Amino acid sequence: MTVTPIGGVLNAAGLGSIVPVTPETTAAAETDSSTAGVGNAFTQALDSLQGTQSAADSLAQTAATGNLTDIHNYTIAATEASVTTELTVAVRDRAVEAFNDIMRMQV
Amino acid sequence: MSSMFPTFDIASSALTTHQIWMNALADNIANINTVEPMSKPAYQEKFIVAQEIPSEPGEPVGVGGGVAPVAVQYGDATGMITYDPTNPLADKQGLVRRPSENLGDQMTNLIIAQRGYQLNLAVVDRARSSYQQALDINGR
Repeated sequence: MTVTPIGGVLNAAGLGSIVPVTPETTAAAETDSSTAGVGNAFTQALDSLQGTQSAADSLAQTAATGNLTDIHNYTIAATEASVTTELTVAVRDRAVEAFNDIMRMQV
Repeated sequence: MSSMFPTFDIASSALTTHQIWMNALADNIANINTVEPMSKPAYQEKFIVAQEIPSEPGEPVGVGGGVAPVAVQYGDATGMITYDPTNPLADKQGLVRRPSENLGDQMTNLIIAQRGYQLNLAVVDRARSSYQQALDINGR
């Protein structure tokens, strides 16, 4: 029994009429660098995480050296740092999950 | 206030204010037995003046920014003129000035300040719990 090879898909009728997809670019996204892309968003989030953590660290230092005037300043800063870290980790997890979903996609 | 956790900032300002109020009350109670000679003013009870922090102009919703202690006001300088001739500070008539503050008022205010502090700690706790629950949306 002989198998006849299947012809290329490109020969199918009507495919030529499909308009190629062009990436959507808006003027706002190009001019405003702060909103351009996930990368910048991540960088900003990490910067703010760094800020909250160093604030909590310096307050922890004042607590250790006995210079802390208000206890709640440290505990609140520590809570902010902890919640910000959790937020960053959650965002990273979702991003990795989305990437993995795309990589698992059947092509 | 463009913080990521505005509730924390508001509650923190209130905690600071109540802390300062408690400090003032502690000072009032510490000086409850402070005696001054008639030539000097008596120990003056301290009152903390608290004021709302207005919302910033740029904020989309006009939620305030918490509370801040803005001033200290002082009580009566005349004090309670007491006859105590054995006191080394007494004048020729045997009179001294004792503070006119009332310990009952101080203790009542101390309880109010403590409850206010606790309330704002509860706000911090609820806010933290809310923020963490928001992280669990579509949870892992």
